[in-house]
Amino acid sequence: MFSKLALKNVRRSLKDYGVWFLTIAFGVCLFYVFNALETQTVLRFLAQNPRGNVVEAIQELIGILSAFVWVVLAFLILYASGFLVRRRKSELGTYLLLGMERWQVARLLLAETVCIGAAALGAGLALGVLAAWGLSAFTAGLFAVPMTFFTFAVSIPALVKTALAFAAIFLLVMVYHAFAVSRCRLIDLMQAGRVNETLPQRSLGASVALFLTGAALLLVAYAMLLTRGLLRVDALFWVMIALGSLGTLLFFRSLSGFLLRLCRSSRSLWYKNLNLFVLRQFNARIQTTYRSMTVICLMLLLAIGITASSVGLNNTVEQMAETACPWDAELVVWPEEEGGTVDVAAALKEEGFDAGQTCAAWLAFPLRQGAHAPVVARSDYDALAERWGGAEAEAFLERERAELVSDQAAGAASLSCWFFLADYAGAAQAGEDAFLQAVGQLSHTGGYTYTTRLSIWMDLMGTKVLVLFIGLYLGVVFLLASAAVLALQQLTQAADAAGQYRVLSLLGAPARMRGRAVTAQVFLAFFLPLSLALVHGAVGMTAANAVIAEVGRVDAAASSAVTALLLVVVYGGYFLATCWGSRRILRASR
Amino acid sequence: MDSILRVEHLAREYGMTRAIDDVSFSVEEGEFVGIMGASGSGKSTLLNCVSTIDRPTGGRIWVEGREVTSLKPKQVSRFRRERLGFIFQDCNLLDTLTAFENIALALTIRGTAPGLVEQKVRETARLLEIDGCMEQYPYQMSGGQRQRTAAARAIVTNPALVLADEPTGALDSKSAKLLLDRFEALNRQRAATILMVTHDAFTASYCHRILFLQDGAVLTQLERGEQSRKEFFRQIIAVVTRLGGDQSDVL
Repeated sequence: MFSKLALKNVRRSLKDYGVWFLTIAFGVCLFYVFNALETQTVLRFLAQNPRGNVVEAIQELIGILSAFVWVVLAFLILYASGFLVRRRKSELGTYLLLGMERWQVARLLLAETVCIGAAALGAGLALGVLAAWGLSAFTAGLFAVPMTFFTFAVSIPALVKTALAFAAIFLLVMVYHAFAVSRCRLIDLMQAGRVNETLPQRSLGASVALFLTGAALLLVAYAMLLTRGLLRVDALFWVMIALGSLGTLLFFRSLSGFLLRLCRSSRSLWYKNLNLFVLRQFNARIQTTYRSMTVICLMLLLAIGITASSVGLNNTVEQMAETACPWDAELVVWPEEEGGTVDVAAALKEEGFDAGQTCAAWLAFPLRQGAHAPVVARSDYDALAERWGGAEAEAFLERERAELVSDQAAGAASLSCWFFLADYAGAAQAGEDAFLQAVGQLSHTGGYTYTTRLSIWMDLMGTKVLVLFIGLYLGVVFLLASAAVLALQQLTQAADAAGQYRVLSLLGAPARMRGRAVTAQVFLAFFLPLSLALVHGAVGMTAANAVIAEVGRVDAAASSAVTALLLVVVYGGYFLATCWGSRRILRASR
Repeated sequence: MDSILRVEHLAREYGMTRAIDDVSFSVEEGEFVGIMGASGSGKSTLLNCVSTIDRPTGGRIWVEGREVTSLKPKQVSRFRRERLGFIFQDCNLLDTLTAFENIALALTIRGTAPGLVEQKVRETARLLEIDGCMEQYPYQMSGGQRQRTAAARAIVTNPALVLADEPTGALDSKSAKLLLDRFEALNRQRAATILMVTHDAFTASYCHRILFLQDGAVLTQLERGEQSRKEFFRQIIAVVTRLGGDQSDVL
């Protein structure tokens, strides 16, 4: 009997569950994608690097982040559940009135949660597998990874982990429902529809003044950011953040009043269709929503900023590896006994790495200990400059803090260590393998150390991949959270405004006109925070790009495209769902 | 000439019960007609049917010679905003709008030229003597002012027929008298046709003609003619008593 009622309820209030469903599905999708990182092309490519465990490090960090994300999602879903229970208060009241036990009502809600939750989980996982595939292709392109590593894969452990994580959230939701039902008094449930609201009204003149103040504060914060740059974190930095946040707050606090004043001055706009109603409604609501709008705007800014700058930081790997290591391989060997000599090339050849054959260019030379600094002989320096250019030779001296001396002076100094520098001939990977194998078997030395450009490149890329994934993960979570909170807020307001829309209907406002008014309100609520966040983001990205440009190439087009795509999918999805839901609530109230 | 409102053999059933059973009457242009009856006599159902909020199950209704019972949903909205004005017991003003904007909204919904809106609203407000509280919000106004604002909203569009559902129901006697005086003024100066539902004999005594409903049918009707309001009031009380209506229910 109960399962039948539950199923019927689900079918009937499927549309109420829309935002709930969407939130869970997006949450599941996100959670799966970032817990299934081992299927990512970039990580599979990185994993074949024998040195360093970048991949495990990335997965571990993302795993820790997932705990945080889980908490955010749990709160979000609980918030959405609260909205559902509030929407159905009088229905629940009727069940209690009819003599149903509280635990029976709680069980009914539980059955409904299980139905919708399972469907959302399934949809989310399917979406997640597709999204992981898309992300894999995207990042592979971003880091120019050979396409041989690109395959379609499903991570079973990630599927299980995601399912368990969300099962835990559903459990929380059930506990919450049971709590909500047991706490409520029948009288509250029955009278849930009657809400009185008294609205504090502010003078419009004050709004205009506040608006201008807010705009001025924002401009000051922008100017500070652009002149000072992003990375100077000092007292003034926090002043800038505070000014920006306060400016945003004032902006939203006064925006509706300002808009109202603006529209009222144009009669043909003000006295057209339901415009004056829409603006007045919005103005009345802003008293209670300007704080959340500010928070949402800042969350959106974080989402946009994190996503865009983490994507913008790509493609700098190549250049950084180039600067860090101008030659393919560098080997430093210390002699076995003090003052002894080493023939590095011969030693390597003995172990199977014939520099003459496998290298396009190579050089072995000693670094000696001068009177007060290491010294390099003039002839070695010239050889170095001949092979890799004067600038690199100069950079080498600077790095080793060495001085350039004549060959005679160098011969008098005692030997410190031998350098072996080489560029591989042919395929870099083959040369690297031969070199590493030979180095691993070196004997009769006092110790050695080596770096290769390929390994530096791998390390750098590991860092970049980490930054990118963390950035995308957090960015999408912030985006999801702000969109979901906005959607729920709008749906609650739509439910509260049902009476007013009934009056409009009685006054003869046709359904289309009313629908447009609803859409306009939802649009204002969604796109005002977004547009300010976009302005913030544009200024912030200008500053961030200046930082990125110092370490590498700025790829503004790609980062903007990715951010825009995410915004359209997540934010746009919520916007449409909210429009649809609100219109439905208000159509039913006719 | 056609009547403003003509109702023929109207019936409305809810399942097995008949809220209205074969009601016929007509209202001429410029008339001020009251419908009286105890609760449950079907007067609210009748008003809902006339105002297209409810659909009758039998009979037909014409407003200005146009049959409203056969209108499609789209035409219903249009008909409502162009031909009808509503005044409710709980005035139903939008509480986020000022009195002025509440009245103006009725015009903007009709698509009145923006330049004409302010002038029309001011004229109507003057007629209903609420021009002093135009910039106030509903919760800042008295009950009487709110109800007169609702009346202004109902007539600012010059509807063919104003429907009032217990307009004095939530008002004290002084505010009620003020509102009814304004109704009379509307009726005289603007030749507004008013159909008012009430169970209050005093309110009813402002009408030109009263229909008495009982158990979903018109029992009798009373014409004011040349009588003074007081005489008419006494006559109403007499009818109510004769009908055996419960006094406490009527007064």
